[in-house]
Amino acid sequence: MTRAIIHVDMDAFYASVEQRDAPALRGKPLIVGGHPQRGVVLAASYEVRPFGVRSAIPMARAVKLAPHAIVVPPRFAAYVDASEAVFRIFERYTPLIEPLSLDEAFLDVTGSLGLFGTVEAISTRIRQEIRREVDLPASSGIAEVKFVAKIASDFGKPNGQHVVPPGTSRTFLAPLPVSRLWGVGPKTEEVLKRHGLLTIGDVAQKELEWLVQRLGPSGQHFWELARGLDERPVVPDRDAKSVGAQDTFEEDLLGEEKLKPHLHSQALRVGRRLRKSGVKARCVQLTVKYDDFTQITRRLTLDAPTDDGQALYREALALLQKADLRRRIRLTGVSGQELTSGAGQLGLFAADEPEQKNVKLNQALDAIASRFGTKAVITADLREDDPDEARDGFYSEDKREAAARAEFERGQQGPRVIRDEDLVYVPEE
Amino acid sequence: MEFRIAADELKKALHRAQGIVERKATMPILSNVLVNATKTGVTVTAFDLDIGIVSEHPAEVMKPGAVTVSAKTLFDIVSLIPDANLTIKKLPNNYAEITSGAAHYKIVGMAPEEFPKLPKEDATHLVKLTGSTILEMIKKTQYAISNDETRYILNGVFFEPREGHKVRMVATDGHRLALVEREMAGDFKLKSGVIIPRKGLFELKRLLDEAPDAECQLGFAENSALFKKPGLSMVMRLIDGQFPEYQRVIPKEGEKQVMIKRATFFDALKRISLLSADKSSAVKLSLSENLLRITANNPELGEAKDDIEVAYRGPSLTIGFNARYILDVLGALETDEVTLELGDEHSPGVLHAPGDKEYTAVVMPMRV
Repeated sequence: MTRAIIHVDMDAFYASVEQRDAPALRGKPLIVGGHPQRGVVLAASYEVRPFGVRSAIPMARAVKLAPHAIVVPPRFAAYVDASEAVFRIFERYTPLIEPLSLDEAFLDVTGSLGLFGTVEAISTRIRQEIRREVDLPASSGIAEVKFVAKIASDFGKPNGQHVVPPGTSRTFLAPLPVSRLWGVGPKTEEVLKRHGLLTIGDVAQKELEWLVQRLGPSGQHFWELARGLDERPVVPDRDAKSVGAQDTFEEDLLGEEKLKPHLHSQALRVGRRLRKSGVKARCVQLTVKYDDFTQITRRLTLDAPTDDGQALYREALALLQKADLRRRIRLTGVSGQELTSGAGQLGLFAADEPEQKNVKLNQALDAIASRFGTKAVITADLREDDPDEARDGFYSEDKREAAARAEFERGQQGPRVIRDEDLVYVPEE
Repeated sequence: MEFRIAADELKKALHRAQGIVERKATMPILSNVLVNATKTGVTVTAFDLDIGIVSEHPAEVMKPGAVTVSAKTLFDIVSLIPDANLTIKKLPNNYAEITSGAAHYKIVGMAPEEFPKLPKEDATHLVKLTGSTILEMIKKTQYAISNDETRYILNGVFFEPREGHKVRMVATDGHRLALVEREMAGDFKLKSGVIIPRKGLFELKRLLDEAPDAECQLGFAENSALFKKPGLSMVMRLIDGQFPEYQRVIPKEGEKQVMIKRATFFDALKRISLLSADKSSAVKLSLSENLLRITANNPELGEAKDDIEVAYRGPSLTIGFNARYILDVLGALETDEVTLELGDEHSPGVLHAPGDKEYTAVVMPMRV
């Protein structure tokens, strides 16, 4: 059946929130960022983008590129509030909302068409309501499948929407460069270019066998995407199979001590997302990508399901210590898997539940975060302008990250992935 | 060594040994039985370093001596030999020769001196047991023993002497607990409770099941237990550690009490838990005036509900349980009815057989 999928993406989200709240900043080149030397750009307003300033580039470079830009520190609480208001608007139109970050989500409105009319009309209404109620600009892309909708929203930017009518996905994609295909990183791009495949249309015209021969199983994935075929459903957070956070580092890191803060940040974010979705994870998985792009995943089953970021961190760290730490690492990811609804078995002995204390602690921290932002209370090893979290909260088109993210979404089936055997298996009682 | 024995006798001995011999064989000799022929008969010994069993059998011994051979191989052979009797003879190099009718085997053995020695338990103070009582106690507690190897203290049953020759057996896996107290024939002279490991408990059960009314004895020495019945003795190492303070978690009488027909409750839980979410058999019990409603729902499968009429007056309550935990209790009871006592949705549920306050099953709820 033809689906109606909308990808909604807020325009320069953090910067727009700042401009909304401080009229003096409107129409001005604005950078939201952390420490001027150490930090990275969290968001760049459209006025500063022509100068080459994008999110996730180092602040030091951004200030050089646009010395005239106004720099403000982030106010995460305001962004979380705005994000929640935006998601509440989505909920008026469909329960099938798959958040990608604070400012971006897929909506499957196939079932809502009878109530609200065409998909274009729904998209327009959503954007108007965001503008009217939250006073922020949003763009959207409309298509039959997620992959195409995501690209279409870029065509709608800023403050517009782009429709790819049913049956025209392949024509729409054809002229785009191959790097826009989900999962095509620098290496794959090189391979494709070497064979003269520059556009998505070129890939679509190749025989499936030819691609699979050169690219392995992902060849099929690219071939399908290039033809506008993307069966993946819109998965609401609560039904997700796993909840994860992963980051490609600014530079490849060597050694456990360098990696620890990133892992910690990732584990805490996973914990927060688990709690927000009211689920717990039975398994923890660690993903490590080395500097030569080989990737390993290691996984272990917990004694009891958890939504506590600190507990996830302990397990992830133990898994990290089993990775090859003599090699430089470009990416780590922590995910909670085998999610189980909050229905938890209570224990008889208080001592069995050292978690109890953390449950209350997490409730308190979540309450603080919902009022003052996730930065209001942080652990001592994390920076206030945690670049990982910043990028987690603000999706950037940075190629390195886009490739990493796309691979994550692909369920890690690419040719470069080495899947390790489970390290520990604790059978169900 | 050479003896002639009835196949049935040897089969009985080897059957007893099967549960004990190590299959994983970290030490190959632990997969063997030690067969020892003396003037009075033959003993068959199996030992996994934790549990050892010595089974005595009448035989016509021509020449005393000992062999040790694979327990499984010997059992398989004895099960299939053509004659009612067989002869076992020791050959050089620890081979054992088995002859029955025209069938003839020569099987590889090991040096009997290498078979590990069982601890000597001669001085143990033994108390006469009523097999059926111990069997009942095992049945009513074994299901609650933890399978979680990381919590080895809970991988057994706590055997605790009480006043007036009474003994309590308690098992818990941290989510539920079963406690039964019964009177014994004598005083075990234990200073405090001991923990009998699951494997030993199951072997004990198997041996008692052979003949529940046979005269038998149980005693404890330092860190081990000794069980004896005519023609058989078993020693087992106890679990070393402190059993949790279980009394703390047994609630005082619950404020909401309901009497339920056991079979009806059992069947309803089974049928409704078919639609439980996740891997746990989570069900919701909703208690209101004269009605117990059992519901389950699974986002992927659907939902189910069943109503049971009960005698209940009092405040309503909805509480979640793992149905499996309650089913285990109901399956271990024999009475027509059970009482279920509840507090609030976070407090444990307590199940009793009416008229038997000395059996208590505690089940912690699930958050639903």
